[in-house]
Amino acid sequence: MKKIVLILPLILLTIICLFFLLFILLEKNPNEPPSALLYKDLPTFTSNNLYNKNINLGSNDLKEKYTLINFFASWCTPCRVEHHFFFEIKKENPDLFILGLAHKDDPNDSKKYLEEEGNPYSFVGLDQDGKIAFEFGVFGLPETFIVNSDGKIIFKHTGPLTKEIIKNEITKLF
Amino acid sequence: MKLQNFFKLLFFLLFFLLSLNSVAKESTEDRVKKLTLELRCMTCQNQSVSDSDSDFAKDISKIVEEKFKDGLSEKEIKIFLTDRYGEYILLNPYFNSKNLLLWLFPFVLVIASMFVFFKKIKKK
Repeated sequence: MKKIVLILPLILLTIICLFFLLFILLEKNPNEPPSALLYKDLPTFTSNNLYNKNINLGSNDLKEKYTLINFFASWCTPCRVEHHFFFEIKKENPDLFILGLAHKDDPNDSKKYLEEEGNPYSFVGLDQDGKIAFEFGVFGLPETFIVNSDGKIIFKHTGPLTKEIIKNEITKLF
Repeated sequence: MKLQNFFKLLFFLLFFLLSLNSVAKESTEDRVKKLTLELRCMTCQNQSVSDSDSDFAKDISKIVEEKFKDGLSEKEIKIFLTDRYGEYILLNPYFNSKNLLLWLFPFVLVIASMFVFFKKIKKK
């Protein structure tokens, strides 16, 4: 009995350590770090249209409607993997505004990319200097955000979208 | 003679201003280096922004330099970055109520272990 009493604090400490370790590991997944912008207001930005630089679109234009924002580039191989999913999302949600932002890409290369893969976007904007991506806390392409009608970011995904993510996470948002 | 003194003075003045400029420049570089050592390169494996050559690290270093030149303090730049990338971008998380357990747990662990250890020794 005495032995158990002596060992008990150590057992308790080990259990606490294990819980603590689990908590740290669950919080710090390097592939999907927590987004600072989730459930926060859409950052302020303005982007020129890929096909006509006189036309631009800003964060104010995205109010009162659900918007999917996708950062892509012609040089980004994983972007090609997820690209066809945007046609499916658009088909299932015709009212959804899909904004594609060509990140640090040559406009001619972006145009060529969209000719090859098709253009599912409602508007294709330019982010040549990466300033818009910085405001969104983007660190790797592709990255996808969904903004609700109140202008709050309700979804963020780093990396290519998959069928499972669309079915289990995105579809539920609309 | 007076003209010679004037040129001497002008030379020293120029030298002084140029030295001040180079000191200020070095100081900004040092500050950028110091701060980027505390920032995580989010596209790398356990590397600081300062140690990495990735595009992300270069962009962040450039932004840090711009912000220092704009007159922002180290704390303000950290807030500016964490507003966008979250606390994850900091290699050393903030010492706040949210992270209190993270900071204090090693000390609690050491104290608890010592307590058990000394108790055992005393009994022996």
